[in-house]
Amino acid sequence: MKKILILSVIIGVFANLSPLTVYSQQEVWVGIKEGMPMIPVALPAFHFTPKSMIDEGIIRELYETLWHDLQFSRVFKLVPREHYGYIEKLDPSRIIFKDWASIQANILISGELEVSPAGRIIFSFKVYEVNSEKFIFGRNFGGKKEFTRLIAHRAADEMMKYFGERALFVSKLIFVSNRDGNEEIYIMDYDGKRMRRITYNDYIDSFPSWSINNEDILYTSYKNNNPDLYSFSIYTGKSRVLSSRGTNYSADWSPEGDRVVYTSTKSGNAEIHLLNMKTGKEKRLTFNRIIDTSPYWSPNAREIVFTSQRSGTPQIYIMDAEGTNIRRITFEGTYHDSPSWSPEGTRIAYVSRVEYRFDIYVYNLRSNSIIKLTENAGRNENPSWSPDGRHLVFSSTRGGDYQLYLMDYDGSNVRQITFKGENKMPEWQKKVR
Amino acid sequence: MKRLFVIIFIGFALLTFFDSCKKKGPETEPVQETVERVDEDVPKVDRPVLTEEELFQKRSLEEANKAGYLKKIYFDFDKYDIKDNMKPVLHRNADWLLKHGHVEILMEGHCDERGTFEYNMALGEKRAESALNYLVSLGIKPDRVKIISYGKTKPVMKGIDEESHYQNRRVEFVIIKK
Repeated sequence: MKKILILSVIIGVFANLSPLTVYSQQEVWVGIKEGMPMIPVALPAFHFTPKSMIDEGIIRELYETLWHDLQFSRVFKLVPREHYGYIEKLDPSRIIFKDWASIQANILISGELEVSPAGRIIFSFKVYEVNSEKFIFGRNFGGKKEFTRLIAHRAADEMMKYFGERALFVSKLIFVSNRDGNEEIYIMDYDGKRMRRITYNDYIDSFPSWSINNEDILYTSYKNNNPDLYSFSIYTGKSRVLSSRGTNYSADWSPEGDRVVYTSTKSGNAEIHLLNMKTGKEKRLTFNRIIDTSPYWSPNAREIVFTSQRSGTPQIYIMDAEGTNIRRITFEGTYHDSPSWSPEGTRIAYVSRVEYRFDIYVYNLRSNSIIKLTENAGRNENPSWSPDGRHLVFSSTRGGDYQLYLMDYDGSNVRQITFKGENKMPEWQKKVR
Repeated sequence: MKRLFVIIFIGFALLTFFDSCKKKGPETEPVQETVERVDEDVPKVDRPVLTEEELFQKRSLEEANKAGYLKKIYFDFDKYDIKDNMKPVLHRNADWLLKHGHVEILMEGHCDERGTFEYNMALGEKRAESALNYLVSLGIKPDRVKIISYGKTKPVMKGIDEESHYQNRRVEFVIIKK
């Protein structure tokens, strides 16, 4: 009887300890709240000082961009514009909250626009809680006319942050495009706007990946007649070779910014290597005669998810950042690759091939469940999470050529964001600076 | 004894010389009976027939690669081992390389679109490596051969049918030095 008691105490201690240790590994941020009702927001037309000469196009662009961002968020639900016509027009100095409550708005955004003598636009917005008739917060943003969209994205991100969510609307995507004739690296806003080319190598450039500070990228270029791995500072234009023997690709910068994992065949076989960016020291993490590839950091930088052919077919595995404690997470199907760890750490998106089709799946580490996000729509590849973990960017051939698409974490709201040339290998910035 | 013979020979030669001088006289010349052939006065030099090696050396790298001395090999879906029906192709390529001992080549491994970008980079290299190992087994020095993988970034055919996929799962042999 005593033994049983001691045993049960020991079990009890372990049962209590294990979830505790798991918890300590996770970030404070809770992540997406699936099933949480979206917050109804009213966004009436902006007021602008009559004296200032504001281009109608700028007002519309600012308004539509902010509207679109909030609509996209899956956190806010916009009260339809038609309903604003049933009530009195918004007067920022004398808000009739009962009117806004009558059209089911919980939050009201009152925006004002003016142009400074220097030609800069200034956007001020105030956010009210309708039921309590209280001012919650407000911000003023100023900038040149060219940055109208950025001002709207900043405003939308302030809304996200105030409501306890992660900013994402100023985040950018990096990808490969042949729109100018050759496969080069480009960046653009999350919504496909304000695109900019950043490599001019005239050789194949591919597998781009953001650094955690969003100032550097990692990519593979054939510019030296071999697929070498480079780091490239997109603001200074400085480039550095990181690995130049064998085939070097699918690099991922650690969330702490000090280390890089990548695939290289420099040892004679595709293996995963860990490079310390400060000391330049390198460590090989996998050792066998089969293909190991596609490493991607967990958001706490303690683990690495990767693809390995060690069971005969490419499957997804997780290992500790030291290369130890390797465990397999995909068991069904014969071909999985391109894993991407969600920013809150609980989900891994990957690509699975079934009957020669590629579709995107999400594996939930907590519930040990898998959901399929794409179906019957060409080849869908290279999923990458948004900084808030509610959206994914991926490439698809559903329209014929490779193009980039966005979708929500549950596979809904699929939207094409590139249209010219072929566009592939997208990666979303991991964090907004 | 030898000297005696030489003296006799010289004396005989002198006699015949004087004899021929005597015959010169006012005789009518006989009409030429044969027709003399008048031929082209430009020196006739034929374009030399080049050996295969000389012909090869004359070409630029680009032309040499277009001429297709080295043939591509193809692979099964998801596989990188050399198929039996591709071995004769590699034997012919090896023979040609042994004959042209200065040639260095790049073997490019390619894949069809039914693999991911990442996995195909590794698979393409495995294919090139298989071809490299086979050539080395046939006596080609490994330092004459470089390998590179393009994954699925350079398909030769855009179709989605099996024939297109087959054409894309290949190793190409590119001459990089003569």
